[in-house]
Amino acid sequence: MLTSVLVCAVSLALFWMAAFTLWWQMHAWRTPETLAATRFEPAGDTGALSFSLLVPARHEQAVLEHTVRRLLESTHARYEILVIVGHDDPETAEVAERMAAAAPNRVRVITDTHAVKNKPKALNTALPHCLGDVVGVFDAEDQVHPALLAHVDHAFRSTGADVVQGGVQLINFHSSWYSLRNCLEYFFWFRSRLHLHAEKGFIPLGGNTVFVRTDVLREADGWDAECLAEDCDLGVRLSSKGKRVVVAYDPEMVTREETPGSLMSLLKQRTRWNQGFLQVYRKRDWRQLPGFGQRLLARYTLMTPFLQAFTGVVVPLNIAVTLLLHVPVYVAWLTFLPAVTALVTFVFEIVGLHDFGVQYGLRVRFVHYLKLVLGGPCYQLLLAGAAIRAVWREQRGRKEWELTAHAGAHLSREDVTT
Amino acid sequence: MTAAFPAAPARPAAALRHASARPAARPVLRLRRSRPDLLLCGLLLVAVLLVQGWNITGYPGLSDDEGTYLAQAWAVQQGEGLAHYTYWYDHPPLGWIQIAALTWLPSLVSPETLTVAPMRCAMLAVTAASCVLLYVLARRLGLQLWAAGLATALFGLSPLAVVLQREIFLDNIAVMWMLLAFCLAASPRRHLWHHFGAGVAAAVAVLSKETMLVVLPALLVTMWRHSHRDTRKFAVTGAITVCVLIGLSYPLFALLNHELFPGPGHVSLVDGVTYQMSRAGSGFLLDTSSAAHDVLGSWLYYDRVLPAGGLAAAVVLLAAFRRSVTGRALAGPALAVLLLAAVAMRPSGYLPAMYVIQALPFLSLALAGAAASAGCALLRTRPGFRRRWYAARWTALVLLGVTAAAYVVPRWYDGDRAALTTDVNAPYRAAKAWLSDRGNVPDPARTRILADDAIWLDLVHSGYGPGTGAIWFYKADLDPAVSRTLPRGWRDLDYVVASPTVRRDASHLPLVKGALEHSEVVAAFGRGDDRIEVRRVGQRGLGGQGGRDGRGGPAEGAP
Repeated sequence: MLTSVLVCAVSLALFWMAAFTLWWQMHAWRTPETLAATRFEPAGDTGALSFSLLVPARHEQAVLEHTVRRLLESTHARYEILVIVGHDDPETAEVAERMAAAAPNRVRVITDTHAVKNKPKALNTALPHCLGDVVGVFDAEDQVHPALLAHVDHAFRSTGADVVQGGVQLINFHSSWYSLRNCLEYFFWFRSRLHLHAEKGFIPLGGNTVFVRTDVLREADGWDAECLAEDCDLGVRLSSKGKRVVVAYDPEMVTREETPGSLMSLLKQRTRWNQGFLQVYRKRDWRQLPGFGQRLLARYTLMTPFLQAFTGVVVPLNIAVTLLLHVPVYVAWLTFLPAVTALVTFVFEIVGLHDFGVQYGLRVRFVHYLKLVLGGPCYQLLLAGAAIRAVWREQRGRKEWELTAHAGAHLSREDVTT
Repeated sequence: MTAAFPAAPARPAAALRHASARPAARPVLRLRRSRPDLLLCGLLLVAVLLVQGWNITGYPGLSDDEGTYLAQAWAVQQGEGLAHYTYWYDHPPLGWIQIAALTWLPSLVSPETLTVAPMRCAMLAVTAASCVLLYVLARRLGLQLWAAGLATALFGLSPLAVVLQREIFLDNIAVMWMLLAFCLAASPRRHLWHHFGAGVAAAVAVLSKETMLVVLPALLVTMWRHSHRDTRKFAVTGAITVCVLIGLSYPLFALLNHELFPGPGHVSLVDGVTYQMSRAGSGFLLDTSSAAHDVLGSWLYYDRVLPAGGLAAAVVLLAAFRRSVTGRALAGPALAVLLLAAVAMRPSGYLPAMYVIQALPFLSLALAGAAASAGCALLRTRPGFRRRWYAARWTALVLLGVTAAAYVVPRWYDGDRAALTTDVNAPYRAAKAWLSDRGNVPDPARTRILADDAIWLDLVHSGYGPGTGAIWFYKADLDPAVSRTLPRGWRDLDYVVASPTVRRDASHLPLVKGALEHSEVVAAFGRGDDRIEVRRVGQRGLGGQGGRDGRGGPAEGAP
């Protein structure tokens, strides 16, 4: 009897967790009107605001030049690019100086002299030097659309937002089975879920293509140098203060990125994010959110990695208990409820992959769908592993920055050679 | 460098987020705030409930199937599982689980009312829900107010509908869910989760009555037409997925019971499906000598307007798909009618008498839609042109309406009056009264009696033991668990309630046949072929007393 009650409770809990996640994941596609509202409005002019674009680069001499060149192609009239390099990284610094010499009115080099380096420290170093009305952050491997700034400018002015988050999309889905899933994760996150967060007034911001009004950012004392998910933390702090965040996703206008080059670096990256989420959760800034629903959403979102890990462990256990302990048929039947949501999620992912291919003009073959389906359980395992690793590291006080290396797989051949 | 930045412009006042470039929100139908809609729908609902509710216990005759479903619902309420006999996967159980839920409260208040006649009132709730859903669907499909009202009236007031919707049939419940699915599929907001909900409702409809499977393609067409290009693939695949997954829960249930595949000593889903698929065909619908033709005749006896007119309207609407807006809007319901008609036309298939129930809402929609389309076509002028022949057109329209009403109203008046005034169930009530009279049967708990399903719950409430005391007559031959308790065949029985169903089916049930042959009438109620006889089985062994000592009174009524 006790087993039955327990099995039912666990099954129902899993069901509701998966159902909520699915509900939020599909936010953008709820109605055609919602979907249309997730896009940038067309920008009529070349802009009225001025931008300071921060590009922290560390051992990224291979991709930095291309990124800065792309940024310099922007159609916007008023922007500066601040490349932040470490004092112990002469190769990257050399590339940065060369770019600054080539475009002296646009590019400046800021040197970060912190003994132990990480991204928030680099960004904080550059913040006092920013002259624009808006600070934008890009990573050194980003491929930025030339018209992006004009659209962001328009979004700031037409909505009165304090923060504009643009879309970020991993593109190299063909590289491996996990990059496929990774790409799709970004697709659902930036295309859909972030818009829900913006609407509800609680948003963990992304790491790049994020634009904040300079005064708002300075008022918030920039980024938290000790947090492993400084982007998420900034978003949580700003939304807790009631700042208005707008998200816009246009397949044409997204910043294109690449997935981590190996499974191990993906695991490390995910561990860092999870640990960062955990840190943000423990900082309790989200408790200042005015609405109960907002706080609940914050709690749930920041806990998601750990709920995922929990799910990974509990689902097989639940099924094993059901099959081995001879519970009544009705109870056994109920344990399949979470499987229903899981399968529906799966199908939506397959459709999402199709939509991803259509939006980006990429050819998605049958083998990719196969990889998506077969890779699903393995990817869940990876996520669960990263979550457990994050808790372990946080518990042991290991909070250093594990950087992911970038090879430029998202750049097409012409992009690299030109 | 700094020259690039003149003084920062003043921050603009917050502008409306959804201004300008965003697509303007479409006008969305809001029925809940529309007074004429509420008024019309409310009035129709009252009329339908009055007509269907008045004399609901007296007409039509109690059917065996009603008894079956209600008895199984009773078993669910009693916590005995899905049936008081072995559940053998004849139908998915969701239908009578819902009946159990519907009749749960009344059965708590007074358990003995849980018999077929009083519990027909529960079907009024189902009919009411179906009527409202049909009205909403008609409006969502773009029919005008009056046409939606016409569809609801056709659906609720046709004598055929009145007769069939009063009865406790799984089909009525399935129709309600399918109408909900259509309403959600035609969501004016084209909402992803509404379409998803349509998939869920469709699955519930199919699990309530499996024949609803036939209508699913029509639902898909409706959903396709009411989804937006940008979100359609998510909406439609989501709906299909969830419908399939929920549908699969039925085989999963069988699998968990180890009853999916046939095997010795147990029932199985595969056996159940095989039985339903291999039921003796009723012949070609239009072949006058076939059983299917008799069924068709029984429908047309009550009403010709809705089945014939609705079918013709559906054909016309689909034929005018390219040219008529109404044709496109009603493509789903019209397709449903044609699909159901095509399946009914199979010469090899078995055509149940309640088959037409699933077609009723779609027939009504098609007929009302065709009427609306004809009315609009008659009054339409091309934009910019002077309205010519205005009076003549209106006259023609009024004449058409009056002619239609003159044809329909007298026929429906007669049909509905019969439903409101005739009491054909008096023999059942009398038989029940006789059997529960301790003067006739002193110890019901130890009496074994064969009866049809319609009177079975009455017997149980009168004290007969459910299952092997009061026995569904055909279980005595067909259910090994029951025949095991009757080692000496008919000799172990005390009574047979010989209703028309029992007499009809006895020819292929040896034990029942034996019991009828070796029994004598102790009481008879009603006349002719519809009479109900209580027969006492003779030559009973020494095993029990029970009915043996029951003093059969003189036969009441004519034999």
